[in-house]
Amino acid sequence: MTISEPISEVDVEVTVNGQPQRHRVPARLLLSDYIRDTVGLTGTHLGCEHGYCGACTVIVDGDAVRSCLMLAAQVDGAEVRTVEDLAPAGADSLSPMQQAFHDNHALQCGFCTAGFLMTLESVDPTEWNEPERVVELLSGNLCRCTGYQNIVTAVTEAWSAYDGSGGSDDG
Amino acid sequence: MKPAPFDYCRPATVAEALEALGSSESSRVLAGGQSLIPAMNFRLTDVSVLVDINRVDGLASVDCDLGGVTVGAAATQTRVLEHEGAAGVVGGLRAALRHVGHLQIRNRGTVCGSLAHADPAAELPALAVASGAVIAVSGPDGERRIDAADFFIGPFWTALEDGELITEVHFPAQPPGSVTIVDEISRRAGDFAVAGLVATVQADGGAVRSARLVGFGLGGVPTRLETAEAAIEGWAADHPADTLAEAVMADTADAFDDIHATSWYRREAVAALTVRAARQALADAEAA
Repeated sequence: MTISEPISEVDVEVTVNGQPQRHRVPARLLLSDYIRDTVGLTGTHLGCEHGYCGACTVIVDGDAVRSCLMLAAQVDGAEVRTVEDLAPAGADSLSPMQQAFHDNHALQCGFCTAGFLMTLESVDPTEWNEPERVVELLSGNLCRCTGYQNIVTAVTEAWSAYDGSGGSDDG
Repeated sequence: MKPAPFDYCRPATVAEALEALGSSESSRVLAGGQSLIPAMNFRLTDVSVLVDINRVDGLASVDCDLGGVTVGAAATQTRVLEHEGAAGVVGGLRAALRHVGHLQIRNRGTVCGSLAHADPAAELPALAVASGAVIAVSGPDGERRIDAADFFIGPFWTALEDGELITEVHFPAQPPGSVTIVDEISRRAGDFAVAGLVATVQADGGAVRSARLVGFGLGGVPTRLETAEAAIEGWAADHPADTLAEAVMADTADAFDDIHATSWYRREAVAALTVRAARQALADAEAA
């Protein structure tokens, strides 16, 4: 929907992890704060809030984005996915990538992990599974615990089992 | 680290966008927001009216023909990067965009927004200057077209007047038989460059015929390396690298110092990138 006159509060209708949401929000509300404070999904973490660290990465209409660099107003009509969608409540297992992170000690404090997982979830593994491409892909997410090696190992392991059918990773 | 309050609109047409831009002295255009929103989060930019152009009809287009590539103001960098036709006509687009930010930034960031932001260390303004791009602008007094060479005035400062909006940028087709190389020194993949180079080089028979060389991260605006452009004519792989490097040093005497690198380091870096680009172009020409 378009808005021709400038307004200070904006109506937002958005699908978050498959659930329709409808709120009136301040124009200045960031998508990251909308997800955490308005929708109540605190799996998305805020590190730097200026687009450097990648911790707040979510998926909007299929693309990984920094949720701290979008306004809630901008996702009106969009589909948003957060880390909570990877292994939904009630599921008895982690997603394959989450399991690979767990198995390979690819996190310590875990603050950055949701961002890594959503970046990885957003791409087609067949386009990114070369070792150099994995490193390039992960360069947009900072981790201060692992030194990255275990994350790369986890990704390599998860994607080595990927059969291209689209069935392994789509939550 | 949250933006100060502002009013928001999401117009459907360029005319509506211009009207909203004119409604306040501190109105700003929101395209990808990957530079503007951080500045707003830091309260470095005072915005009273934010005009989101992402749903303006027609602005997200990427059009490509033999004459060049035209990128609308709301077209994302990812869209251009993945556009197969565009890379064939303007090879520098893909070469430059691979260096821009990270995947998540390119998924939102726009080509025109990078030009409007005019970061001195950004790749796309240098590509625009190197390729002779033309920037189409709409404003309260109508439309005008600005050559990229006249568009960049200083750091974060362009020829855009208050109330004006970039609607599209046209990159002319790369000259036949040429290759565009975009190379840079940065501290981390995806960071802004400490210094970089866009080189459009024509080479055949083992020698460079001509080249357009534009450095970035050296001064307030993309830096045309004219002495080096003269020195590179006729240069062959067995010629001494020093002649090229010295020409680049002569072109870049005003390069600035900051915490990341001294002026001297930046000049040496661009000199090395120029030699590397010349060798690459010669190798590509031989392989073709």
